[in-house]
Formats: sequence, C-alpha cells, structure tokens
Amino acid sequence: MEILESVKMAVKTLTANKMRSTLTMLGIIIGNASVITMVGVGQGAQRYASDQFESLGPNVLFVIPGSSESRNRTLDAPRTLTLEDAKAIATQVPTVSGVAPQLQTQQAVVYSNRSTSALILGTTPDFSPVRTFDVAKGRFISDLDVQRGTRSVALGADLAKSLFGTSDPLGQTIRIKNISFQVIGIMEAKGAFLGNNQDDVAYIPLSTMSDQITGNTSPYGTEVTFISIAARDENSVGAAQFQITNLLRLRHKIVTDDDFTVRTQKDALEVVGNVAGALTIMLAAIAGISLFVGGIGIMNIMLVSVRERTQEIGLRKAIGASQDDILVQFIIEAIILAALGGAVGTLIGVGGVTLVSMVSPLKAGVSPAAVMIAVGVSSGIGLFFGVVPARQAAKLDPIVALRSA
Amino acid sequence: MKTIIRFEHVSKVYGSENTEVRALSDVNLTVEAGEYCAIMGPSGSGKSTAMNVIGCLDRPTSGSYYLDGVDVAQLNDHELAHIRNRKIGFVFQQFHLLPQLSAMENVMLPMVYAGIPLPQRQQRATEALTRVGLANRLNNRPNQLSGGQQQRVAIARAIVNQPVLLLADEPTGALDSHTTQEVMAIFAELNASGITVVMVTHESEVARLTRRVVWFRDGQVIHPNLSPTDLAQVTVAAV
Ligand SMILES: Nc1ncnc2c1ncn2[C@@H]1O[C@H](COP(=O)(O)OP(=O)(O)O)[C@@H](O)[C@H]1O
Ligand SMILES: [Mg+2]
Repeated sequence: MEILESVKMAVKTLTANKMRSTLTMLGIIIGNASVITMVGVGQGAQRYASDQFESLGPNVLFVIPGSSESRNRTLDAPRTLTLEDAKAIATQVPTVSGVAPQLQTQQAVVYSNRSTSALILGTTPDFSPVRTFDVAKGRFISDLDVQRGTRSVALGADLAKSLFGTSDPLGQTIRIKNISFQVIGIMEAKGAFLGNNQDDVAYIPLSTMSDQITGNTSPYGTEVTFISIAARDENSVGAAQFQITNLLRLRHKIVTDDDFTVRTQKDALEVVGNVAGALTIMLAAIAGISLFVGGIGIMNIMLVSVRERTQEIGLRKAIGASQDDILVQFIIEAIILAALGGAVGTLIGVGGVTLVSMVSPLKAGVSPAAVMIAVGVSSGIGLFFGVVPARQAAKLDPIVALRSA
Repeated sequence: MKTIIRFEHVSKVYGSENTEVRALSDVNLTVEAGEYCAIMGPSGSGKSTAMNVIGCLDRPTSGSYYLDGVDVAQLNDHELAHIRNRKIGFVFQQFHLLPQLSAMENVMLPMVYAGIPLPQRQQRATEALTRVGLANRLNNRPNQLSGGQQQRVAIARAIVNQPVLLLADEPTGALDSHTTQEVMAIFAELNASGITVVMVTHESEVARLTRRVVWFRDGQVIHPNLSPTDLAQVTVAAV
C-alpha cells in the first residue's frame, strides 16, 4: 500500500475521533510549548543581561567586597573597602583613568509635601565619566563638594520628575533623612540596569553620605559599598585588574584569602553567559522531560486505541492488509499526532515568548533552531512511542481480532 | 473441473491438553471451481472454524489445506495477505463495516490494500455497489443503512477485487426473511457469473437455494455432498 494512502487513512481515523486525538496530542502540545517558551525566555534573559553588561563599556572594572569564592557575597557583605582604597588606586595604579567609590542606601526623599523612596548614592566626581552618567542640567558633584562634605545633590531624571513634576528643581532644597540638600544638577535618563531603575537615584558627595546619612562604622577608614573604575583603555583592563588586586592585597595585608574581588566587564559577561547557559539547559531539560512524558501519553492512548480497534484491525487483515500495512498505519497515526501536537505547541510557545517580550524587558526570541528541534523531536517521539502500539496491532491474529465482538 | 479447496486430514485443536477442544477432526473435503455450496450442521460442529481456515484467517493444527493448488502452510504473512485480498471475498454475519467510512469507502478498502489508484477504485466500487442494488446509497455511513443494506455493502466489498472464492459465514443470520431472499439472489447471481460460493447457514430454506450441502457434526464432515432437495429427510436423520 502506498504511503500517501496510509496518511489519508490515518487522517480519516484521527478526524473521526477528534476528542481522543486532541487529548492524545495534549502532552506533546504542552511539552513543545514549554520547550519553545523556556528556551526563548532563557536566551532572552541571557541576551538582556549581556546587553546590560555590554552597556557598561569595555573599560569598566568593579571592586566588590568579599572573595569571589565566598558564596554568600552580597553588597551587604563585610565592608572591607574604603575611600582610602579608592584614593590609593587612583594615585598608584597607572593604567586607571578614573575611580568612583560608591556608598549607597535606600532612603525617603522629601520635597515640600511630596515624598518618595530613592537610592541615595554617595560618590565622587569620577562617577560621572567612569559610569558614563551625563549631566543634563546644572552640574555633578565636584571635588570641593567631597572635600567639604557639602549638602549638594544631583537628581536622577525619574526622581527629579517625581519630586518636582514640570517645575525646575535646580537650586531647590530637598530633605534626605531630615537633612536639607540643595539640588545642583539633573542627570540624563539612563534606563534600567538588570531591572533596577538607575534614574530614581540621588547623588551626593561620598563624605556627606558617610558622615551624615549612613554613619561610618568601618575600623579601616571611610567605608564604601563598592568601587567603579575605568581603565585607561580596553587593552589596559587586564593590567589594571592585576595591579589593583596587588595593591589591595598589600593594603589589606592579605596572606591567604582575598577579602575583595576585582571584576572586569569580561568577567561579568562570562558569569552571565555561564549562569544563563546553565539556566537555558535546565529549562530545556525540564521542557524536554515534559515532551518525553507527552510521548508516553501518546503511547498510552494508542495502546488503548489498539485494544478498542481490534475488530477494525481484524477486518482490515481479513480483506488483505498485511502486518506491515497495519504497522505503518498506526505509526503514521502516532507521527501525525505528535507532529501536529508539536506544531500547535510551537505556535503556543511562540505566543508565550511574544507575551514575555511584551510585558518584560527580556528580548525573548524564538530561535528557528529551537522550533526545528522541538518539531523534529516530537515527530521522533511519535515514531518512537508509536512503534510499540503499532507492533501490537500488527501482530493481532485476524480471527481473534474479528471474534472480539 | 479445477479443485479450488482441498482439505487433507485437517484438524484444528483449541486450548491446551486438559481443556482441549477439537473444532475440526481429520476433515477431508474438496470444492471444485464454480460450485455453490452450503455448510450446515449443529452449533459448535466446526463450521466457522472450517470457513476461517478456508479463508486463510486461521491455520490448521495439523493436515494440509490447498487453495487453488497452493499449500497455504507454506505462505508467509505477505503472501497470505495477498491471497485474502485478491482470491477470497469474506462476508460475515455481523457485516464488519468500518463505521467512520461511507459505503463507497468501505467497498474501496480492499482496493486500497491492492494498490489500485483512486479513480479506478471509485469506478469499481460504484459498479460493485450498483451490482448489489445500492447505487443510490454510495455515500451513506453504515449506521444510516438497514441490516440488509449493510450486508449488501459487505458483499460488494467482498467481490470488488474479483475473487475466485466467496465465503460467507451465516450471511443471513442477522437478516429477516425478505432481505434474506434479496441477499441470496445476489449470491446466486455471483455464482452464475463464475465465482465459487461457500456459505455457512443453519436455515434449510437458505441451503435449499444452493447446489450442494456439506454436513458437519462434532468437527467432522458426515455428509460431504448432499443434494439440497434431499435436505428435509437428512436434517431429521442427522440432528
Ligand atoms: N478460539 C477458540 N478457542 C477455543 N475454542 C474454540 C474457539 N473457536 C471455536 N472453538 C470451539 O470449537 C468448536 C467449533 O466452533 P465453531 O467452528 O465456531 O462452530 P460452529 O461455527 O459450527 O458453531 C466449538 O466447540 C467452539 O466452542
Ligand atoms: Mg459459527
């Protein structure tokens, strides 16, 4: 019998029992939809995080407290970094062009009768060039501000808007922790970084921050949360990392384990790549398992179907179907179910991915490879799990099958 | 005359040693091409078993069955499928039509397995259905047809590949006497056109319309060649 005839026959059988066919496909549909969505979202997350770190620029390094080995390293980890460390790096490391120590905390910010919570970031003038945060209006914190510990504040674009609306904030007075600050500048909007709004920030001199807002508790000097550094150029990043590490080891009198970590943009990208890669593999594995379960579902229902259709099989044999004809018929039914389920699942997956990119900053995309693999794998699963019921059907003794009435 | 069916010491045993049932016990039987014969006998005497062996749906436990001179025991699954498809037409008491297919599609099914192209399939199925008087029911599903009509569809399906042998196991068992007459007329006409017809029946009115009666009892042929006209006295004596 020709394969095209088998396909027609299978379609006829499957459409005659739409409910069962749909239920049979359900597992594969869900499996495929999750493969497409999971892989799409995983890759979207990876692309998003990479883009974010790319946007830092290739020259940027970060010094963060804690060793890279310590597992529970957070920004609240032991504050071993100080303003003095940052100054030493600026003066003693020749490959560095800018050093911006940062000390930050979340606080209420008040202007007249409006109040909002914002990130208060104490830093030095270098912050603006190192992190490429430009001033839109007025000026950023100056060296003099830091020296004198002035109560000056530069506002992020969003914070300025939420406190002042359309009126001009320059020269106005706002209150942070009940201390008055004069607005000296407004920053350009910068957008979010890894989901954090970078425009809902108040920049104040680092000295003012540690003396009047956070209060200094470090025995080593003026503590900072972390230090952003710009290397002279892209080629000096490696040298800068090496020199900063050595300098800080000397300063911190380190014998064995570092109490700080120097990260380059490349390091960060690598970490993102590893984490996102592992995440994608894990998501794909979970999705793959559901696809496999979908295949078992097909096998189950087809085994039931073979039992229900013994008479049909017996009749087909009595009028001239060979074992191969029956085998092919059932395998084709399984493949059609799996491939169709795969296609429907893929469509749903594409929908899911589109939805995710619409409601989140993740630029989730559907890679053609993922679609091809998912549809290919589901057809393969149909073939694989269709064989067992199909063989059972083919092996049926025609006379036993006919008598099963 | 050409011999189309030959049983040599055919036995069929069901079950294992202690639950053994001898459905056929050392049966010798020949049917010549062109014959029209009825197999009769009490219930459980082995008639259906014999028909299934003749139709290559079942194999004898021992002995040999030659169909058109070929020893069926030597054939593999493909060759058996081919014989069931081309040489034999089988009509069942319960019709065995596929419910999701129309009359036309049911009749086309054997030709699908024969690899006949669609236009020819349609033409021949239409012819076969016309021959059994269902030219106006081509597209009806089985559940839209009466019992007699369903059995006629089954007959059309059995003859559509132009078999040499038409087998029918109690084809009128589920029909009333009027439709029985109609179906028997079709068998008579098919036999007249040269097809060998063997049918199982327990109705002497049906058997009387054939030309030879084979009488089974306890898995054995006790009257291999009765004239249908002698049936009345034999029935009384044999049962
Ligand atoms: N598949 C089977 N398994 C066991 N016994 C069977 C089977 N088929 C038929 N038999 C037995 O074989 C004998 C003959 O059956 P059958 O050929 O159907 O008789 P008939 O058609 O003449 O009524 C009966 O005793 C029946 O019970
Ligand atoms: Mg019977």
